[in-house]
Parts: sequence; structure tokens; C-alpha cells
Amino acid sequence: MSTPLDTPRATPRRMPVPRDPRRRWRTGSLAAAVVVVVVLHVLAFEGTEFRPARLIEGWEGMARFLAEAFPPDLSWEVLGPSLEATVVTLWIGLLGTTLSVPFAILLAVLGARTTSPHPLVYQAARSVLSFFRAVPDIVFALIFVTAVGLGPFAGVLALICHNTGVMGKLWAESMEEIDQGPQEALRTAGANRTQQVAHATLPMVVPQFVGLLLYRFDVNVRSSLVLGLVGAGGIGLLINQSIKSFQFDEMLTHIIVVLVLIVVVDQVSALVRRRLAA
Amino acid sequence: MSSLTMAAPILQTTALSVRGLTKRYGGRTVLSGVDFDVRYGELVAFLGANGSGKSTTLKCVMGLAEPDDGGITLDGAALGPLRGGQLQAARRQAAMIFQKIHLVPRRSALDNVCAGALNRIPTSRSLIPALFPREIREEAMACLDRVGLADRALDKVSQLSGGQQQRVAVARALCQRATIVLADEPVSALDPHAAERVMALLHDLAHSENLAVAAVLHQPDLARRHADRAIGLLGGRMVFDTPTRDLTGAQLDELYQPDRMDLT
Repeated sequence: MSTPLDTPRATPRRMPVPRDPRRRWRTGSLAAAVVVVVVLHVLAFEGTEFRPARLIEGWEGMARFLAEAFPPDLSWEVLGPSLEATVVTLWIGLLGTTLSVPFAILLAVLGARTTSPHPLVYQAARSVLSFFRAVPDIVFALIFVTAVGLGPFAGVLALICHNTGVMGKLWAESMEEIDQGPQEALRTAGANRTQQVAHATLPMVVPQFVGLLLYRFDVNVRSSLVLGLVGAGGIGLLINQSIKSFQFDEMLTHIIVVLVLIVVVDQVSALVRRRLAA
Repeated sequence: MSSLTMAAPILQTTALSVRGLTKRYGGRTVLSGVDFDVRYGELVAFLGANGSGKSTTLKCVMGLAEPDDGGITLDGAALGPLRGGQLQAARRQAAMIFQKIHLVPRRSALDNVCAGALNRIPTSRSLIPALFPREIREEAMACLDRVGLADRALDKVSQLSGGQQQRVAVARALCQRATIVLADEPVSALDPHAAERVMALLHDLAHSENLAVAAVLHQPDLARRHADRAIGLLGGRMVFDTPTRDLTGAQLDELYQPDRMDLT
């Protein structure tokens, strides 16, 4: 027993730190990881012919292009159709998101380990989701254009397919992550699997679902722009046309309108998500 | 205390009977040959250190863990030979109360209590709470009233205190029309006052509704005050099964000996 000191000790006590036997191994593996990442980047620079010098040499071409684009053509003959096409783009993004919800929910429930009725069903649902996710929406758009012709309908169908794949996977993962307790409680109370999902799993993940849905709406509005480039309607089509006919001032008008749309959609979905979180 | 007035208990029938229950996880035996009965109209407390097998015992009864050996009889039905729908029907006699409560916080207390009755509602009428039949909603209201929370029926569960939430979970068990209630550390996450109230409720349900209640407890004095009988488990074996009024300090010391803790 040491006697209590009147004042705190003048010099703090010290103690040697034990040697960490894993330290050398950790340093080695960190160095190896750095080497691998550097090598991958060198290969990527080669593979993409990444030459900043060429960008500097060719600045004149870019300057000419921009000079022709400024000032944007804000005449009503250009702005009117631009606004109309932008609204179509918004509708494509909206329908592409909402109409994929039933498919995404079904595949998410079947493709979440915690709610799937059978491992085989789980694998099948995951495969379907992977397929829809792996095929880019622009490829779906090209396929649907051959069936329903050029226009926004093909764009909506393309977004439904791709978005089902992405949202289904995100939802399945959020269902796997939530607390499984309520589901287990209903199972012990004798509820069947559908009832467990309807009264425990789904109500538990509503905030995550809505957050992801808004995020996907945001992404889909932007995707529907690109879909226009391949003929699936909306403002993308007009941008494509003005580039092909060298009307760069019209193109700039379209881009400004799109910018406004994207900012508005982004702000609204951020606002709604903040409200949900609170 | 009402447990002391039970000097001459009326003839009680066995609700839950467990014989030779054995459970191994990997190579480790967590339960070896556990035998006990819980009768209608009594609250039995399971005591023991962490890892002594208390919770595993309840999980085996509920089918949340598969026993390696032994027999379980619920309300006269031996579970061993039963399969599929018959097994589920037999297990429906028992309801489980969890330490972590396991209600859906975003739904109202009433909707959560109705969920206890899901096994009696056809799937087509139970996809959303708005479709629940009126008689189920009214029965659920009465269950909430029984636990003293009828006035909070329409509040979201997340707005209730921990003790109130656990009472909603008890109401859900009542709405399941369970005759046997298994509670796995029902009050471990609650403050002393709320714990007292939940235990008093479980005691009252056993004595006035004639339910059989088995509760895993971590506080021996809660068992002394509210339980009729205490079963002590140590390293997967039963070391005592006595009326709580006869529970001695020596028996409790044996359960919680520090040098036994490394068994876990």
C-alpha cells in the first residue's frame, strides 16, 4: 500500500510498450498493396492513352467549339422545345423509377437471405437482379427502340429494367442489414413468411427504401438524358440533334435547361430525404 | 406477497414439461439432461450465470434452437413426433417475450399487438394492418387494456418507454392466445421501476389468468419477489428447483461463483 501523495507526481510514470509481433507483417502487406495499386494505375494510363500533352496541344479546337456555343440561343424557337423535351425527360425518369417498384420489391424479398423462402429461389432472384443490373440502360433502350420505335416509351421501358436490377439489390441488402428480431418474434407467434415480411421486415425498412428510391429517381432522371442520345426521347435527343447539325449555341441552351432540372431534382430529393431522417 | 399466500396450491396441471434436454454447439455441451415442469398458474424463474444455458433452454422450447436430445411437452402435446403444421399448432400455445422486445417501432402499439394474432388471420386479410378484421382489433385493444396501455394504443411504439414497449410485447403474447409465456431476460434492459412493473404483470397473468410463465432473470431478488419457483442452472446442468421462499444465499452463491464463470 502506497501512502497517498499530497500533490500529483512531478514526473508521469512510464512503461515500455511491448513489441507487436504483427507489426513487420503489417508493414510488408501495406507496402505490397501500394505497389499493386501503382502498377494497376500505370497499366490504366497505358490502356486509356492518357496523354495530357495532347489536351494542351489541341486547346484551339476546344476554344473554337466553345466560342461557337456562346452565347446560347435563348430564342423561344429553341427554348420552347427545350423545356418541353426536358419535361419529357423528367417523366421518363419518374415512370422508370415508380414502375420498377413492384418488380424491385418482389425480387428484393426473394433475393434477401433473411426473407427468401428457399436458397434456390434466393440464387435465382439474385441472378435476375444481376442480369438487369449488368446490362446498361442504354443497351435496354436500343433493344426497346427496335420493338416500340424511337421515342420516350422505349426510354421508360429501359429504365424500368435497369432500375429493377439496381433498386432490387439495394433493397435486398437493406433488408438483410436490419434487426431480424421482429421477424423472429412473429415467426415464434406462428405468422407465415408473407406475414412476417409484411408486418416486420417491410415496415422496419421503410425509411431506407424511400431514401434509396429518391436517390434512384435522381440517378434515373440523369440517365434518361443519355437515353435520349440513342433515340429514346427527351432532351437528350435534342442535344444529339444540335451537335450533329453543328448548332452549338442551341446545344448550350439545352444543357443549361438540363442543368436547372438536375439541380431542382437534386434539391427536392435531398429535402425529402432530410425530412425522412428527422 | 401473494407468493406466500399460495401455501396450499390448488391442483395445477402441467403446461410445459422438459425431460433430459441436451444441446451441444460444436463440441461444447451447453445443456445436459435438464428436467423441469412449469404448471399453469405459476411463474418460474430461471437463474444462472452467463452461458449457464438458461436462454438456450427457452430457445429449444420455442424451436429457435434444435435440441440434440430430450423431450418437450407443451400443453400435453409431446413435440418430438410432430412435424410441419402440427408442430406449429402445438408451439402456438407458447409465446416468447424477448430482452430486446422486438416490436416494430414505426407501427402503432395496436398494430403490433394485432400481429400476435397473425396465425389466425388468412394471409389475404393480413397484408396491411388496415385489412385486419375488426374482431382482431378489438381483441388486441382488450389485450392492451390488460397490460394497462389502452390509452396508448394508437401511439407509435417508438414513442413509448422501454417498460411500456415490453408490456406491449406481453399484450402481443396475449393476443396470440398463448397459454404458456416464455420470457428471455424480459427486464434486463429496463430501469428498476419498469422492471418491477413488468414482473408484477407477468406474476399477475400467471395467478389471475392461469397462464404458465417461465422467465429467465438476471436479478435473484426479482425472482424472490415475483416468482413462485426458481430453477438454477450451472454449466448446462440444473442445480436446484425450489420454491422461491426457500431459496438460500448459498444456492445463489453456487450459481454465480466467479471461478465458474470461465466455463463460458
